[in-house]
Amino acid sequence: MLRRIDRRAFLQGIGGATLALPVLEAMGDDVLVDIPRRFCALYTANGMSLPRPEHEIDEWSWFPRGEVDGQFTFGKSTEPLTDFRNAVSFLGGLHHPNGVKSDPHVCSDMWLTGAPLHNPLPGTYNSVGVDQVIAAHTKARCRQASLVLSIDAGTGFLSRTGTISYGLDGRPIPAENNPRHVFNRLFRVDGNTTNADKASLARNMKLVDAVLENARDLQRQLGNSDRDRMDQYLTSLSDVEAQLDTAERWSEVPLKSQDYSHLNLEATNEGDPAEYYRNMFDLIALAFDADITRSVTFMLNREDGMGISDTFPLKLGLTRTHHNLSHAGDKDGQLEFAKYDRFLCEQLAHFLRRLTEYRDRNGAVLDNTIVLFGSGASTTHNPRNLPTMLAGGTNLGLTHGQYWRGDDARLSNMYLSVLHALGIEQASFSDSTSTLSCPIFAS
Amino acid sequence: MQLALFSAFARFVTRHRFSWQRVLWSVAILARMHANCVAEDEPLPTTDSTFQDIVSPFLNRYCVACHNTDEPTSGVRLDHLTGEFADEQLRFWEGTQRQLSKRSMPPKDEPQPTSAERQRVIAYIEAQLAVARRRPAPKNGQIRRLTVAQYRNTLRELLLLDEDFTETFPADAVSRDGFVNTVETLSLSPRHLETFLHTAVRAIDAAVVDTNTPPTIECFQVDFGRTINTTPCPDKLILGANSHLLDNRDFVVDQPKLEKPFLFQPFQLRTHYRFIEGYRGNDTVRGWREFDSIYHAVYACMRGSEGYPKGLAYQTVPQGLLLRPAIPSAELFQIESTYGPKANFKISVRELPDEGEFRVTVTAAKYDDGLLLDDAILSRTAEVRNSDPVIVSGRDIGSSATVKLPTAGIYRIDLIRSQTIADPPPELDVQLFLAKREFSSRSRSTEFLVVRLAEGDLTYRVEVNERDSLERVDFVLLDDAALLAQEFARFERRAPLLGVHLGLRRDCGSTLTPVGSPQRVDNLEWAEFVFQGAIRDYPSPDVEADNVNYLAGLREIGVRSEYTDGRDMPRLAIRSVRFEGPFFPTWPPPSHQQIFGDSTDEAEQNADELQRAAAILERFASRAFRRPTTASELTMLKRIYVDARNEGATFSDAIKNGLVFTLTSPQFLFLIENSATPAAEPLDDYELAAKLAYFLWNGPPDSELTACATAGTLRASLDEQLERMIADDRFSRCMQTFTRQWLNLEKFAVLEPDRDRFPQLTRDARHELENEPGEFLQYLIRENLPVSSLLDSSFVVANEVVADYYGLGDLSESGFQFKPLTHQREDLGGVLTQAAILAGLSDGREPNPVKRGAWFARKIIAEPPDDPPPNVPALSEDLRDLPLRVRLERHRNQTGCAQCHAKIDPWGIAFEQYSAAGRWRTDTVDAHTRLPDQTEVNGMLEFKQHLIKDRLDQVTFSFLKHLTTYASGRKLHFSELESLRDQQLNLRDRGYPMRDLLRSVILSPPFMEK
Repeated sequence: MLRRIDRRAFLQGIGGATLALPVLEAMGDDVLVDIPRRFCALYTANGMSLPRPEHEIDEWSWFPRGEVDGQFTFGKSTEPLTDFRNAVSFLGGLHHPNGVKSDPHVCSDMWLTGAPLHNPLPGTYNSVGVDQVIAAHTKARCRQASLVLSIDAGTGFLSRTGTISYGLDGRPIPAENNPRHVFNRLFRVDGNTTNADKASLARNMKLVDAVLENARDLQRQLGNSDRDRMDQYLTSLSDVEAQLDTAERWSEVPLKSQDYSHLNLEATNEGDPAEYYRNMFDLIALAFDADITRSVTFMLNREDGMGISDTFPLKLGLTRTHHNLSHAGDKDGQLEFAKYDRFLCEQLAHFLRRLTEYRDRNGAVLDNTIVLFGSGASTTHNPRNLPTMLAGGTNLGLTHGQYWRGDDARLSNMYLSVLHALGIEQASFSDSTSTLSCPIFAS
Repeated sequence: MQLALFSAFARFVTRHRFSWQRVLWSVAILARMHANCVAEDEPLPTTDSTFQDIVSPFLNRYCVACHNTDEPTSGVRLDHLTGEFADEQLRFWEGTQRQLSKRSMPPKDEPQPTSAERQRVIAYIEAQLAVARRRPAPKNGQIRRLTVAQYRNTLRELLLLDEDFTETFPADAVSRDGFVNTVETLSLSPRHLETFLHTAVRAIDAAVVDTNTPPTIECFQVDFGRTINTTPCPDKLILGANSHLLDNRDFVVDQPKLEKPFLFQPFQLRTHYRFIEGYRGNDTVRGWREFDSIYHAVYACMRGSEGYPKGLAYQTVPQGLLLRPAIPSAELFQIESTYGPKANFKISVRELPDEGEFRVTVTAAKYDDGLLLDDAILSRTAEVRNSDPVIVSGRDIGSSATVKLPTAGIYRIDLIRSQTIADPPPELDVQLFLAKREFSSRSRSTEFLVVRLAEGDLTYRVEVNERDSLERVDFVLLDDAALLAQEFARFERRAPLLGVHLGLRRDCGSTLTPVGSPQRVDNLEWAEFVFQGAIRDYPSPDVEADNVNYLAGLREIGVRSEYTDGRDMPRLAIRSVRFEGPFFPTWPPPSHQQIFGDSTDEAEQNADELQRAAAILERFASRAFRRPTTASELTMLKRIYVDARNEGATFSDAIKNGLVFTLTSPQFLFLIENSATPAAEPLDDYELAAKLAYFLWNGPPDSELTACATAGTLRASLDEQLERMIADDRFSRCMQTFTRQWLNLEKFAVLEPDRDRFPQLTRDARHELENEPGEFLQYLIRENLPVSSLLDSSFVVANEVVADYYGLGDLSESGFQFKPLTHQREDLGGVLTQAAILAGLSDGREPNPVKRGAWFARKIIAEPPDDPPPNVPALSEDLRDLPLRVRLERHRNQTGCAQCHAKIDPWGIAFEQYSAAGRWRTDTVDAHTRLPDQTEVNGMLEFKQHLIKDRLDQVTFSFLKHLTTYASGRKLHFSELESLRDQQLNLRDRGYPMRDLLRSVILSPPFMEK
């Protein structure tokens, strides 16, 4: 007879076994009343514009250079965020110590992980990113562990990554980039579960059990052949089994009724950049509002002129590609680079506005969501003073309206603070030494 | 506890392939963790004493201070080197040896070793490198996931379904060598498994039908012809801006009764609708209105057809609808188009099936057309005119008349203006009727048209907008040898290319996507052309059930005469377009029958249910696994079936469970080579058949290959099979995939060229140019041409679009088919000068010699430059205005940059004669360069000659290296690269014929052994 596999045992087996499992048992009441704590990381490649002083366009610096009454003033490139003055903060001086030692192009690979990519542990490439640590802790409470988005689908490749999410095993998580696909996956598949859906879910769970057993049989027969590959297969399949298990429980809970009429699912990354970003951000906001997921990453563009986003500045009427602008030292180029920053800030402002419109029981969705916006380089290939902005999360203890400057502080320390704010009481994250001592986070 | 630890340790050792360094490392860790569990007297392997005593102290004294983990200057660290010379360390050893030999390290201002010290270390490294390079890699059997493309092709051939189920698959990662089929980068994540599972369910649902319910099939037909509709729809319709509906009298929509060899339910198009918006265009709300006619369910629609450069974009004639080639509009150039090409003819329809395959059948013919004359044709065919031509004049304007032609032949029709008319004569809008043929155009010159006419009476009629301005029509017989007659003869031989597209209507912009490839319409007689696709592969309008907008939710079937390069082309005549879907040639369809078997097979029908199920599942799993199923697999399949049956599933549903299981199993998703020992073993015949097929076809083995494997004759008939596989159409998948990835054409695919500077680089042109390198390579291999052709050839392999891009349009008459064309030009031939490569290595504005140089070094001569180190200093500001070449020179001369750029830039300079669009530059450029080996060459021609004369072995090696890496799906070991070099020598005397090189890759150990 088929040996039934205890799915709960599997759940425990995945991802470091540190998950708080009692949640599962309490599923139903507890999950439905808990107020979500969420995280969203938005990455822009190639740095932000920090113009050289001799060009005398300080007002176009991404980091604020002006001050009134001891308060920073928004520069022209971040001006679109003026309305959110009390919901955003700038953080200067952050860096990954490992970033300084690595090839500058891997800065997006390590942005959320801080891994020593110049000297990886044997058999590994990257380490888990902060978003996936959060996903592992929140996934039992929502429909999908995480939503991984990027301008280009897939993973890209080593050092020119197309995704900023790395799983518990340090492997890249392929990103999605098509609004329609994302919409269908999030809002169609799991929505309004019918009996037929439940039957097919039950069938899939059985099939996965059988496939797991078959794969183990195969592995035993395989003699010397590549065992890593089969291990990967088995781990991944176990994870799918866990997902089905979660889905089975979620199938009892109807999807929140929402207004989708503002979406344009025809938008693609080949069309108008603003339209594309707007729709991607709208989808994230909808997913947060319906509590489909609590951990989202979105890579807005890629390093070193990879992928389609390199051409966006041209599409917007600027004269050089994104990567070229990031290398510009001349005044015109630096100004254009800053104008592109402004474009991105306009998209961010749209997103924050949406998150303000959607409500949780205790306030705006934004107040229960920590939004991180940043880059892995400041000026060209400079892995220090990383442009970093935090928004939202005021219900989670964040105090905004600040421009905090750390002295070569560790980005991983900030991630640890973020984890703590979300209620994930880890002792450390990556190469963190402590939480960030910074007034943005409640001590 | 001890046992568990030991087996974990043993497994660790096996997994990491005898890397003693790792073993030591793991021992150290285990020892620290469980000091009491591991025996203290575990024998430690002795490391090489020379390394310990001499080399390691040397490195520590002179190198490690600047090259360590924390401070890897120039990206180099040497603190981790051991005497083991592990593969991943070899490039550091090579670098160290190079630097020491050249005496460029340690830097001058640092302590220097003595000459003897230096020599001893160099000698040691050289000796150890030689050993390391010959060291065979352990072979433990590869387990390689199918790439997305391979999965797609496999599913298609396994299930006999056209549909592409892989649209939502995570994209495959790219390896350092540029390939996506490399085992090291073919990752597997939970999302992959989730996708595989859902895809298996979807695909099996599509393949297996419910045989108890007859299918419902939609079929409608639109017929065209001037005033053929005697009961036209009285409503005047507007389908959005710039749309021109065909006159309601000129087409008929009908739902003909289908003849099918099985019972089915005809689908009746809904004709009754109620809308409040959209029926007067996009923006107006006029109140509710009822519609009840099939003409509100299906329309014939033109869009964006005004301003066609020559003649009318389209025209209805009594016989049907005439279409000129659909010119991609300026809007199509890189941004989404607004109104599509001119003429953009499509049939709009409200309802199409949601899934399944469909057929569009077009009844079409080549129109017996005439060549409209313009200044360009007249000037290139100008010659001394025959002094005494045969001219027949007709003096009736605006009414039907007859002329008598003395002989059959090619006639030029001249429209002779009245004497009183000013010079130059005004332009006229002309409609000319010759018997049943019609020609309409705006005419500027007297010479209007060239056309072939029969002997005897010809009825003609000419209509012009200013009747008085025309005096008569002359029919001038042309000598067959006349240039104009020859031009006409070429025109007359051409065949329009019929293309069908499917998409959805949007307020602006077309989503039309081609259905299959364009088909040549060669004959003047009507013939049926069938286009088939899977409906879900095309964009669909998702419209809510209670939609109230007349214009929402419309699908479009586009029918076009496809455009290549603007050459004159006889018009395409369309008489009817028929849609049928879902399309089933039989019921149950082949996808179903193939799985469930022939229902007339008595043995199978008489068997009991479980036996039948077992037979069905075994047959399917054996095909899916590319080998016979094992007993335990079959037991598992049967159990799945029985379990489902016991839970009340129908026979068919229980079988489907087994099918989904099969498509989710590692045996299907992976190419598995089962290896018993770390020593090399030959592939078994099934593994070989699969490896061959996924290499040469990027897809599964077919029944013939599998039969060879079963019979055990595959090795004996290998050459015969190779020949067959290379000649097969599927071989183009290998050539396109390999070439794109080897030569990195992805860069070209995402290029955003400067439209003002390079207007020729249109989206359509780029699409064809991107195929050129693969087509070229395929030709070289099929013809077994020498490898030197890769570098230079007297021909290009081009279709009309590509030929036109290179200014060779006159030589090509092959439509979209790639054919070899002899070019007789200095700037063309070989891959190095192909536009997809050269333009892909620019930013769309300026050519970039650094990118071109690095590409050349990496791809063509396999001397990959090192990665740029961290923190490259920027060029100082005052250099900005200098020419790129000078800036490069300065950059090259900066400390830290020089080392690498000296090995990159000189190659790139040789490409300087080519623009950012990959065309020969008209301005003067300096392409004089001194290559790293000090050879001087001036420009591409000399460069190619140098490569062919002095570097052919190296280019051959690079080709072999890349092809072998692609074929074997993994990174090659050093020793394998070394044996490739030896192996290629066998073909050296014959100039390295390309197909023989490919054969040698297949016969090589990296391919044949596991």
